[in-house]
Amino acid sequence: MEELKKLLFRLCSAPGTSGAEESAAETAVRELEKYGTTRAEGAMGNVVCTMGNPDARRRILLDAHLDQIGLVVTGVDERGFVRVAPCGGVDRRVLPGSPMTVCGRETLRGIVSCMPPHLLEGGEDKVVPVEKMAVDLGLPRDRVMELVSPGDRVLWQVQPRALLGSRVTAAGLDDRAGVCVLIRCAELLSREKLNCRLSILLSSREEVGGQGAVTGAFAQEPDEALVVDVSFGTQPGVAEQKSGRLSGGPMIGVAPSLNHAITQELARLARKREIPFQYEVMGGKTGTNADSIGISRAGVRCALASVPLRNMHTPAEVVDLTDLENTARLLAGYVKEAR
Amino acid sequence: MMADLELLRHLCSLRGVSGREEEVFDAIRKEVSPYADKVETDALGNLIVCQKGRKRAPVRLMLSAHMDEVGLIVTTVTEDGLLKFSCVGGIDRRVLPGKCVLVEGKIPGVIGVKPIHLLEKEELGKAVPPDDLTIDIGARDRGEALKHVSPGDVAAFDSGFDCSRGVVTGRALDDRAGCAILIDLLKREPEYDRTVVFCVQEEVGLRGSATAAYSVNPQAAVVVEATTAADVADVEERKQVCRVGGGPVVSFMDRRTIYDKEYYRLAFRTAQENGIPCQAKQAVAGGNDAGSIHASRSGVRTAAVSLACRYLHSAAGLISEEDFHNTEKLVEILADRIAGGEPRP
Repeated sequence: MEELKKLLFRLCSAPGTSGAEESAAETAVRELEKYGTTRAEGAMGNVVCTMGNPDARRRILLDAHLDQIGLVVTGVDERGFVRVAPCGGVDRRVLPGSPMTVCGRETLRGIVSCMPPHLLEGGEDKVVPVEKMAVDLGLPRDRVMELVSPGDRVLWQVQPRALLGSRVTAAGLDDRAGVCVLIRCAELLSREKLNCRLSILLSSREEVGGQGAVTGAFAQEPDEALVVDVSFGTQPGVAEQKSGRLSGGPMIGVAPSLNHAITQELARLARKREIPFQYEVMGGKTGTNADSIGISRAGVRCALASVPLRNMHTPAEVVDLTDLENTARLLAGYVKEAR
Repeated sequence: MMADLELLRHLCSLRGVSGREEEVFDAIRKEVSPYADKVETDALGNLIVCQKGRKRAPVRLMLSAHMDEVGLIVTTVTEDGLLKFSCVGGIDRRVLPGKCVLVEGKIPGVIGVKPIHLLEKEELGKAVPPDDLTIDIGARDRGEALKHVSPGDVAAFDSGFDCSRGVVTGRALDDRAGCAILIDLLKREPEYDRTVVFCVQEEVGLRGSATAAYSVNPQAAVVVEATTAADVADVEERKQVCRVGGGPVVSFMDRRTIYDKEYYRLAFRTAQENGIPCQAKQAVAGGNDAGSIHASRSGVRTAAVSLACRYLHSAAGLISEEDFHNTEKLVEILADRIAGGEPRP
């Protein structure tokens, strides 16, 4: 578990907001190239690693998205505060007073500006939209103008940290946890002789529409795909029927938009290999890359396995490493048994 | 010679939630002991440092800064192993969700919130109610949590320190910055005898300074603090209170104290004569240890010299390195002038 934790922390330490995944991609390539032909490719900035038999009848795609939410600089105001917009579905309630990393010409530390309570006149229960917030670098305007440009990305400045037992917290676990699962899965498969062609796709831009998965699936032309994302972990305010227990194993997605046979096969494999799992039942689409991959070209049979995660889209995301390991084992088992 | 930022970095790395200032106390005692003539403590845990100067002081002066910081205190542990908490000191509820904390200085945790995807319409755009917040330390259930944490344990913000480009950002700058300045002053022999106190429990009602002022029994006091700079984004100039980079902030009045008029003027005069930028705190807001000190025993003539600090009482404050040095300069000269009996009638 220690190795898995270190891998996850390396992945989470590399910035990769949607559309600016380069650093995260580089880190992932370094990890994946040990196991297969790996390259960062395409106009979208995806990473693809291919393994197995290139001429095999079965073509399996494993997907996890590489990007994470953050902020994007829109400009610098007259007093030198950096103005921002969301890059993905940022939860504005966790922004005020947060230490941030601004990826400008240099890496800068800023704080999300926050009006002191005495000026709020009872407005303490409101949080303004991100577009009305600003990141404070504490520097004069001309200095800020030299260092920061529109389009630069801003991320929460938090170090990945181990919590009790096998739980960890970091920003961007959505979906570096999934990326980590696929790298671990590649490692598990690296000593196996595969009867399929396997493409591991780390797709860009999921948080802003999933364009990386659309183009990546088109390029790989799989006939089946397994998508790994994170999903809601049980926590206060989140209904049990809408969430999965942390440490309860992968959440196998069941939905009209997913292929029922693969879904059932995953559950069968989990039972056979004594991998704990839980179901995540959805009434339509899944809100993940599985939605678009499933209708790529003439259609792809798709399944979804999710890692339960608390505090999604905040810098305080929490997962259990055992869930990552079990998800990797389940996917590896599926690929191994492919005939 | 000025206080170096490494000392400030070290002080800011220590935990000292009100009532639990021991770690800060020990570090400061170690730092100042070689320069002190007498180091004492009292029932509450204040650190009282007496230092002889080259001359006996015509006016008994006490300098003070507080060691404690705002934080959280664990009230109960839920069945799921999450920690419910109350705030220690005034924390703006908007700055809590999603932050990293350290429980009892050793157990990492995060303050969780329900994901944005699952919010009801009426929850959008609203700060998370503090009662909905919990600290997640990764425990699987109550049993596991209780092996590591007990009700009454305190948690403090866990965020880094940075001092590049002349901007200092970090946790607990309120009032470790004041502590760092007074520690550094103690390393130089003053003109006149003086007592420097590092107080506990400022954030929960100016309590440590009350007992310290009683035992020291000074005639005059200078409080060195960090005060709210509201020169943040979208605040118009007249509401900014004070400005980061504008020099030390001198108070005429806040919600706890009306300051000694002559000392207030003396502070500005001293700044001007020494080429130190200086600004008035332009709002009657907040309060600090002066509140209890100035009304101690039969009354103490009191001044407050503060650092303009943005985002006070949150995960990371922001001050200017230049202000930090200028505040030290002003406090040093002002202290000797007050102890020397100025302003003379």
